Amino acid sequence: MLDRRSGTGSAQSAEKVRITEIKAAWREHSQQLAGPDAKTSISIGLATSFTGNSLLPFLGAPLLEVDLKPSIELGPYNQLFQVCLDHKNIFKTEPDVIVLLYRLEDIVLEELLAFLQGDAGAFQRAVEKIDLLVSALKGLHERFSGTLITSLPPFPTILPTSTSSLENPIRLGALHRALTTRFGEAVTSISGIRLCDLDAVQRECGLPNSFDSRQWYLYRQPFTDSFLFKAGSLLARMVIALRRPSKKCVVLDCDNTLWGGTVGEDGINNLELGDEFPGTAFRDFQRLLLYWRGQGILLALASKNNEADVWEVFDKHSGMLLKREHISAWQINWNPKSENIVHIAKALNIGIESLVFIDDSRMEIDYMQATRPEVTSVLVPEDPADILDAMRHLTLFDRLEVTQEDRSRADMMRAEQQREQLSSSLSKEEFRKNLGLRIDFFLAQPEDLERITQLINKTNQFNLTTIRRSADQVRALANSVQQRVFGIRVSDKFGDYGLTGVVIAVIQADSRQLVIDTFLLSCRVLGRGVETALLAALAQEARMESADYVEASFIPTAKNAPAATFLPDHGFHAEDEQRWKIAVSEVPDLDSSITLTRSGAPRVGLGTVDLQVSN
Amino acid sequence: MAVSSGVCQVFSEVLRIPIESISDDTSPENTPQWDSLQAMNLVIALEAAFDVRLSTKEIVSMRTVGLVRKVLRNKGIADA
Repeated sequence: MLDRRSGTGSAQSAEKVRITEIKAAWREHSQQLAGPDAKTSISIGLATSFTGNSLLPFLGAPLLEVDLKPSIELGPYNQLFQVCLDHKNIFKTEPDVIVLLYRLEDIVLEELLAFLQGDAGAFQRAVEKIDLLVSALKGLHERFSGTLITSLPPFPTILPTSTSSLENPIRLGALHRALTTRFGEAVTSISGIRLCDLDAVQRECGLPNSFDSRQWYLYRQPFTDSFLFKAGSLLARMVIALRRPSKKCVVLDCDNTLWGGTVGEDGINNLELGDEFPGTAFRDFQRLLLYWRGQGILLALASKNNEADVWEVFDKHSGMLLKREHISAWQINWNPKSENIVHIAKALNIGIESLVFIDDSRMEIDYMQATRPEVTSVLVPEDPADILDAMRHLTLFDRLEVTQEDRSRADMMRAEQQREQLSSSLSKEEFRKNLGLRIDFFLAQPEDLERITQLINKTNQFNLTTIRRSADQVRALANSVQQRVFGIRVSDKFGDYGLTGVVIAVIQADSRQLVIDTFLLSCRVLGRGVETALLAALAQEARMESADYVEASFIPTAKNAPAATFLPDHGFHAEDEQRWKIAVSEVPDLDSSITLTRSGAPRVGLGTVDLQVSN
Repeated sequence: MAVSSGVCQVFSEVLRIPIESISDDTSPENTPQWDSLQAMNLVIALEAAFDVRLSTKEIVSMRTVGLVRKVLRNKGIADA
């Protein structure tokens, strides 16, 4: 359970304890790595403009805690350009992740010093060097298919001026901001390079607590353990977020969680919510909840109350920022919350392990943990002033990219609820005809790849092969000559389901076959004939590529039973235990109630070289 | 706890070597675990264990366990 009630003093000593634990865990892991049956599940190449050894435990140990077995190889000291140009010769094994961290004073020291002396051209010279670093990173990003992380540099420390210098107080700050912004914007424009904000880490530590002058002069290692701890944790979170799905839904208590007071006892007019403390604290928490909703996190209620009382607050209380339509599912009754939370997961069609339960009652939290350990339970701090800070520091919703689908997920959920109302009043056939399904099938464009990667890594049920891939691997496939990465967008009269299906196929010119590597649909669109339509679209594509056969595999997993009979049901013949095949001419036709379009230009011809990615 | 055993304790924990193998003569030359990275960790651990701040001059002079004791004694830590 996450409990952030501790004050600042004990938080500092808690950090010291964590630092000791981390160093011990990393020492032990390093000894195992040196041993005979060393196993690693992720390799990281780390290159720094300063001595980077001390960062290793802080990056590695948090990965151990989530069962990743990292090996970290440190590149040569202050050789970032060489690492960018020649990473294959610098790292002994090709890493899964490369992390490049730098400080401005290690790269543009002369320019910084000249700038402080009033040299008018110094700023431009610094900018040119930073641009050079950006293009080196760009080159590395093109040659390296793994994950690339770099830093926003912290405020420079080893300069003649200090933050409290009286002369030209804004100059150094302005220079740091200008260079950081320039670097950050340039890197952000290269899709796929991730930024670790060391400037923010330094702000969180405070300048005096982030720089260790003795270690700098003795070992060229400028940072305190406290800084390294925070920087390493942040980097580890980035690495984990690329591999682990984030939580999908917050299940909220109401009384003393969304507002102060108890609606059933105090009445709607006496609740603490609005423009005066403690009402402001609850209002700020509601703001955070709306922000989460905008990031694709669904909001649900589990409250022991009379349902009408709760909705009255939602509908009538002027301090409520949360409205009824923001809530995707609710169980407002007197049953145990451990039962209600199961109903909520079912209603939203998501796994119970992707729920986060937030309540102010320690008893409810303890009970949930005892009965539903797979749910992450978070206790609301006792002092309302602590709520926002505790909640916004949760790392449960960590994700590196927020796609358009994420942003509109909660609204799509509402459309889904309207569909369910229709489906309960009609037969299955009538329901399908009434839906007016439209499917657009297209070759993936660069802007689609984030969402496609997300689907590849989280779709469990309708997924023929369940092959997971990193964003960079997907990008490489989309750019390759023989591979095709397709997506579908699905909509109906209630709204847009968004990008909800992916097919990756290889064109085998010699055997005139289109071989399916990945075929998956989001569970949002299952059971409406979309899977059949997707196959029909693919057959159309096979014809254009002059292929006569479509081959596919089914690899059973613990969760993909819904796709188990898809291939035989659609006329595929078994080739062996895994592989299935069908002649293009035998692929079933499209259901007449579905409209299929093909947007964007096809790639024509078997194995034709066509590297154009955007249209 | 006597400080001398405290010094050995710190070295044993940071370098992960048996406490019995540590003497005043223990140095980077005869102890491969005492490399430059561990030298940094030793400084941090010694400062935490004895609640002192070591100057760069003191850090550079600490070339053996015996010399570490000497530095700590000079900082007024009895028995070191």
